Amino acid sequence: MALSPRVRELTLRVRGLTPRVPAAQLVVTFWLLCFLCVPSVFSSVLSSVLSSVAVATATIRGRVELRQPPRDLEPRPSAADLGMPAAHGATDRRRSVVYLDPAPRAAFDLRDEPRARMDQRNETFVPHVLAIVAGTTVDFPNNDRTYHNVFSLSRARTFDLGRYAAGRSKSVRFDKPGIVRVFCEIHSHMSAYILVFSHRYFAVTDDEGRYRIDNVPAGTYTVVAWNGAMPTESKQITVGDGGEAALNFVLERR
Amino acid sequence: MPVRAVAQWLPSGPVRLLDGRLRLGGEISATAGTPADGTFFNYTDYERNTLRTFRAAVTGLWQPAERLAFLAEVRIDDAQSVTAAAAYIRVRPWRGRPFDVQAGRIPPVFGAFGRRAYQADRPLIGYPLAYQYLTSLRSDALPAGADDLLRMRGRGWLSSFPVGSPYAGPGLPLISAFKWDTGVQARWLTPRLEAAVAATNGTISNPRLGDDNSGKQLAGRLAVTPVTGLVLGASASRGNWIARTVPVASTARAQTAFGGDAEYSRGYGMIRAEMVWSRWDVPFVSPPPEGRQAIARAAWIEGRYRISPRIYIAGRADRLGFSSITGASAAIPLPWDAPVRRYELGAGYSVQRNLILRGTLQFNQRNGSRLDRRTFLTAQAVWWF
Repeated sequence: MALSPRVRELTLRVRGLTPRVPAAQLVVTFWLLCFLCVPSVFSSVLSSVLSSVAVATATIRGRVELRQPPRDLEPRPSAADLGMPAAHGATDRRRSVVYLDPAPRAAFDLRDEPRARMDQRNETFVPHVLAIVAGTTVDFPNNDRTYHNVFSLSRARTFDLGRYAAGRSKSVRFDKPGIVRVFCEIHSHMSAYILVFSHRYFAVTDDEGRYRIDNVPAGTYTVVAWNGAMPTESKQITVGDGGEAALNFVLERR
Repeated sequence: MPVRAVAQWLPSGPVRLLDGRLRLGGEISATAGTPADGTFFNYTDYERNTLRTFRAAVTGLWQPAERLAFLAEVRIDDAQSVTAAAAYIRVRPWRGRPFDVQAGRIPPVFGAFGRRAYQADRPLIGYPLAYQYLTSLRSDALPAGADDLLRMRGRGWLSSFPVGSPYAGPGLPLISAFKWDTGVQARWLTPRLEAAVAATNGTISNPRLGDDNSGKQLAGRLAVTPVTGLVLGASASRGNWIARTVPVASTARAQTAFGGDAEYSRGYGMIRAEMVWSRWDVPFVSPPPEGRQAIARAAWIEGRYRISPRIYIAGRADRLGFSSITGASAAIPLPWDAPVRRYELGAGYSVQRNLILRGTLQFNQRNGSRLDRRTFLTAQAVWWF
């Protein structure tokens, strides 16, 4: 059984004591730690054991099929250009996000402060879709030779990073759940989505449209498949203890 | 907490037809401001006030092959006139070389502002004087002497001269931002250098669909990007500007212009500046001591700073001056047209990515004419897709 983070942290702290500490001090410290922490260690271990017994988890997996492959994003046609516009990379709009809505109660116990990355490469945001938990800081490095100006006017997060050159990166922390549309002020064809969740029961599909959500507590859920280019689809599913449930989606334009 | 599965409504790209080979983009702008009160500071060669106008423009790009495209832009101004502002073919002859040729009604090569064809590309509502303000010179009517020209100082919106057309009409700006010329243009583009040349029917001040001046204009521009965010450009042009219908004996009938432009942007700020020097050969019947030339100089600088994701502030200082000539009845030389200064301050608010509301305060001063000062308060809404 894996140790809870608190037990692990305590173990490391105890291991961290060095032989240079006087023996008497070590003994006192040990008994003090035992006196103060053993009850909490015990309760933590007990809680972990109980939760693993009471809340057995399952996996939801499947595939999201897009009936009509989304087209690449093209620049706004401009008659004022003196020639062909510069070539830009293709945007991978095939990726979808599958998530539980609502999330299980145990889902909100998040302690870490994760980071994620959205590149600007060949006048394209990579990835086109990023799914993160609230509290994540996203880096936006510019890997092009031209300026970019990343911004969003979405209600979930409004920001403007200004113009910055190749090799530089700026960051934004996303605290509020919701969908954030990201754009470049200079290049009209650059856009991306950041989906900010208050839980971690979500997954981004792979090249084949497959997804997998692990550690889902047993229960009945609504599972939602989302793609920026298609209408959202949701289905209900019941997962049992330690099981694996398959759920496929087909998204198509109406 | 469930994630709301709705985002702000925005088009993710232009309208696509014919399996994506035809793309349509557009812009609608409505501009309203205080009346011009007969000052005509912001009138264009289309005889419209840029601060009180409604414009709808649709741009279409049909790309039947990778290196071949057809572009057209149709504009409707004030729900009255429909014009084909652009219509041309674009070809890239060699696959591996960034060399393009365009032919038809093409975008201007000279300067930088003329290619900011959309309102959304510009931080302020008013235009720079060099690209909009009407001087008293006309291509279809000419002054016989310096006095004829001096008499029209500050009356570019409706001038009249004894040689050529007997009717009063609008004069010419240094560069027209509202009409594009017809001809052929070639461009070489690298990440650090852009070079473009064009041969067209009209001139930068009087772009033409058909040739009415018995000569082609040659124009060119060279722009370098020494570091990311900084663009330095130099332009030159020369071409006949006087219509064939005007009876003149002189063969000197060219408009010659030079320009320099610069743009620097970083972070939330951007600065643009441009200078234009233009000389028109004027075949006076009785030339003044200064010669058969009328020279105009314009310079402007503008800046924009984004103070929040939705709000920016901007300002421009602009000046237009003219060379002096001596009339038969005047003791001292006078500028052949009334010099103008313009200052504009404004702010913009992005309701959403493609909907911008703006407001500006524009102060104009014209030296040497009856209606010499006016301040205009203007509001504008711009929506594009």
